[in-house]
Amino acid sequence: MKRSLVLLAVVLCVLLSFSGFGKTKLIFAVHWSDYQVEGVKDENGNVVVKGLKQYIEEYQKLNPNVEIEIQSVPFDEYLKRILISHTSGVIADIYVLYSLWGVQLVDSGILDEVPKDVVSKVKSDFVKAAVDGATIDKAIWGVPVEVANYALVYNKKLLQEAGFNEPPKTWDELVAMAPKLTKRNPDGTVAQYGFAFLSGWDSAVVHPYLALLYSNGGKPFKDDFTECLLTSKEAIEALEAELKLFKNGATDPAASVWNFPTGKVAMMIMAPWYETALKLGFKDEYEATVGVAPIPYLKKPATVGYTWFIAVDSASKNKKAAWDFIRWMTLQDAGGFTRMGELMAKNIGSIPPNKKDIAFFKEELNDLYTSAFVKELENTYQEPNIAQGQEIKTILMREIIEAWNGRKTAEQALNDAKKQIDKILEEFYK
Amino acid sequence: MAGLSETKGPVRRKKLKTNTGAGYAFLAPALLFYSIFFVYPVVFSLIVSTKRWNMLVPLSRARSVGFSHYSYLLSDQVFLGVLRNTLIYALATVSLTIVIALILAVLINNAKLSVLWRFIYFAPVVTPQVAIGTIWGYLYRPNNGLFNSILRLFGMKPVYWLTDPNVALFSIIITAVWAGIGGSMLIITAGLKNIPQDYYDAAKIDGAGPFRQFFYITVPLLSPTLLFLTATGFIGAWQVFDLPFTMGRNAPARSVMTVSWYVYETAFQSLRMGRASAGAFLLFCVIFGFTLLILWLFRRGGIKGYE
Amino acid sequence: MNRKKAIRILLEIIRYVIIVFGAFWMILPFFWLFSASLMTPEELISDVPKWLPEKPQWNNYVQVLKRIPLLMYYKNSFIVAGSVTLLVLATSSMAGFAFAKLRFFGRKVLFSFVLSTMMFPVFIFLIPVYYLMKLFGWLDNYLSLIVPFAVSGYGIFLMRQFILTIPDELLDCARLDGAKELKIYTTIILPLIKPALATLAILTFIGQWNSFLWPLIVTSTAQRLMTLPVGISRLSLAFSTVETQHLILTALVYQVIPMVVVFLYLQRYYIRGFVLSGFGNL
Repeated sequence: MKRSLVLLAVVLCVLLSFSGFGKTKLIFAVHWSDYQVEGVKDENGNVVVKGLKQYIEEYQKLNPNVEIEIQSVPFDEYLKRILISHTSGVIADIYVLYSLWGVQLVDSGILDEVPKDVVSKVKSDFVKAAVDGATIDKAIWGVPVEVANYALVYNKKLLQEAGFNEPPKTWDELVAMAPKLTKRNPDGTVAQYGFAFLSGWDSAVVHPYLALLYSNGGKPFKDDFTECLLTSKEAIEALEAELKLFKNGATDPAASVWNFPTGKVAMMIMAPWYETALKLGFKDEYEATVGVAPIPYLKKPATVGYTWFIAVDSASKNKKAAWDFIRWMTLQDAGGFTRMGELMAKNIGSIPPNKKDIAFFKEELNDLYTSAFVKELENTYQEPNIAQGQEIKTILMREIIEAWNGRKTAEQALNDAKKQIDKILEEFYK
Repeated sequence: MAGLSETKGPVRRKKLKTNTGAGYAFLAPALLFYSIFFVYPVVFSLIVSTKRWNMLVPLSRARSVGFSHYSYLLSDQVFLGVLRNTLIYALATVSLTIVIALILAVLINNAKLSVLWRFIYFAPVVTPQVAIGTIWGYLYRPNNGLFNSILRLFGMKPVYWLTDPNVALFSIIITAVWAGIGGSMLIITAGLKNIPQDYYDAAKIDGAGPFRQFFYITVPLLSPTLLFLTATGFIGAWQVFDLPFTMGRNAPARSVMTVSWYVYETAFQSLRMGRASAGAFLLFCVIFGFTLLILWLFRRGGIKGYE
Repeated sequence: MNRKKAIRILLEIIRYVIIVFGAFWMILPFFWLFSASLMTPEELISDVPKWLPEKPQWNNYVQVLKRIPLLMYYKNSFIVAGSVTLLVLATSSMAGFAFAKLRFFGRKVLFSFVLSTMMFPVFIFLIPVYYLMKLFGWLDNYLSLIVPFAVSGYGIFLMRQFILTIPDELLDCARLDGAKELKIYTTIILPLIKPALATLAILTFIGQWNSFLWPLIVTSTAQRLMTLPVGISRLSLAFSTVETQHLILTALVYQVIPMVVVFLYLQRYYIRGFVLSGFGNL
């Protein structure tokens, strides 16, 4: 039984390779889910919103000599999969990549140089935060496909109940409002949180902190990345600003933003991808309940963002065909918009970084939720593309959580973070 | 009783005839497998552990650093801390799991509906992580979680089960024991089925109650099984990854980080495969030494499951 | 005498109270999984944990069938988990027999070696074993999912421990009758260790059936080999899982059912443990 199955598999492979003979085959690695790849379907299996697959079918019809295979792996395992197969020479031609991974990929010579015409298009057509995300060592390494940033999401009803008609504009206002939005059980546990911080993985903890740091006029590293600046006055103040909410009882380390849709959290700092969950949670009450505003600032309005960009493997045998497809998908005008922009805005529900798409998909991007994030793009600082970004972010996350738990002061935590981070910077930038 | 002499003091059996040909013939498939799928990867990783390798450049271009990864880890507070966490986790889960599983297996063995009970106790093994994580998340919730509701009934302060660094490891151990009982019970049950009923009949005639039967027949005759569970339990527990990784993400200060988690993070998030491999080899040395210690202790207790 | 009887009844009652109390905790998540698979996404995110759906959403089960090629995943998972289980049973019982009942040069060293194969974290094997799969050209067929798991140190150790409890006299009698070791293995050893084989089969099958990381990495370049857990993981979105959480839980029920069947099927081997009477007269 097993042997015949193996035989069958071998025969199938041979047949498959013959049928594809003469075609240029491109492998396209993404971290997207089933919906984003296969499209959103109705109960009868008809495509309602196009997915990546439908665009690729369109492209293959236009270019019969090209065949594109999508290899999707969930986000959590995506980088691991790329690393493991790459070491054995099993590569994809096209990758969608998280901006923070870019540095190591570029330094190790994994990414193909971007053709000149693509570079100039990226520089002229895309929002600054996204261009920064795709830029490593002053060069652009791919076409941005998705940009995300953070804003204050609040529960209008809870605010009104407490007598607030407007969300806080400055951080001090937020700190003053939050305790009034907090309710306690008789035993002292919190029944309703005035504020909840994102947590659970590195970016969740670090990104909102970086937003406050930028808002306070600081930055995490020197521009040449030779030193970590987290012990600066601005950086310590930014973390102390977070700690004020723990000290005045408006939040605690057990607070969870995932309880926002149940009406137990009044305010949080969130990203665009949470929209569907909020709609599900509040149903008919959604529009009357959910409000979005810029993150309350310390010294100046600022938020932080991250980018996904599309790039080509330098070891690909079909680089030209790969870039041709990328041009068609992400740059070419398809009637006032780009195809990737359509996929992002309609299917995935995230912000396309192309200015033209932002203007075109008004309807999708102008709802009460996403529009606030789009408006904030002008105040968005791209998280720095630094070597060992993930390692550095994890260190900072752990130290911030230490401070949240009151085990270290803001200064101690950031001092400890700086010590560890400087060691890494010394390794990679000196 | 000769076959059980493995468990009963001085050996009374004849020495087996040496039969090298047959021995190696029966071992051939396993040895062939290991020479490819174990020896090669381990030698490969040993080489990697002496390099600075991000998995992106070819290994041949990675810089050699000698044994500096090893000396780094051995003097690194973080690594020593995760070793300590893992030791606590291993000692607690293995001992609790085996004791509880042994008692329950004996209680269920001849009980009515034993098939049903055995299935229910085994259910955590087949229940997917998502469901286990969700339920234990409910139970450990600080606000309206079940455990804190019980504490409140007794007028006690609520406990932050998964975010208090002094408690989180303990909470994860409870879940791990809960999840591990079923598998151990299964193996103990298979062992119980090997104990001849005659012994119990004889004991009853001698007037031995259930407790004496348990300590004088069941436990000694199960000792090869218990040895197996202890040894493999520790080997597995030293490498634990899933539960702390999924439940302990919000616990501060790496208070529940285990060695495998450290190896994983170092390899695939920090892209330091060399240091991660060195960590894996240090873990191997610890487990190897620990296993020898366990076997020695069992042997001192008169059990020759391993010779 | 009456007092003794009362104590015995009391002990029996305590015994069942303990059994039932423990059983309640053990079955809780399992029960919740089934219940949650019939809930709406709104019910799943409600603040107070829900134990039963208001109105069972049987449609979830239909939706999963429409969303993912479940039959293909089932087929792949069965081929992989089934083949690995058979291979592990064969290799473990053979090696376990050799270590327990045969004398040969290097036995102790080799057994220590087998134990040591269990002592490395799985993460350091990913890259070299993937490289071997590429080298052998197995990346596009089932062999890459099966062969790396064909031998288990755990299985060998388990089999050895159980075979140790079989009396040597039994084997010596057969040897006096001129039986070869192969015949002893097939006619005496294997029938006597059925409960242990069943245990190993259950544990191996379930381990493989739920295996995620390795199948994910291998099948990312050969999607038609995708196993069930890998296929189900594609239902989840990055970060926010609320939209598809109900479908994922439903899909997990599809994943759990075959394991329950395998477990209940192999249970019957426990009833027939071997009886030592007749050999145990020392």
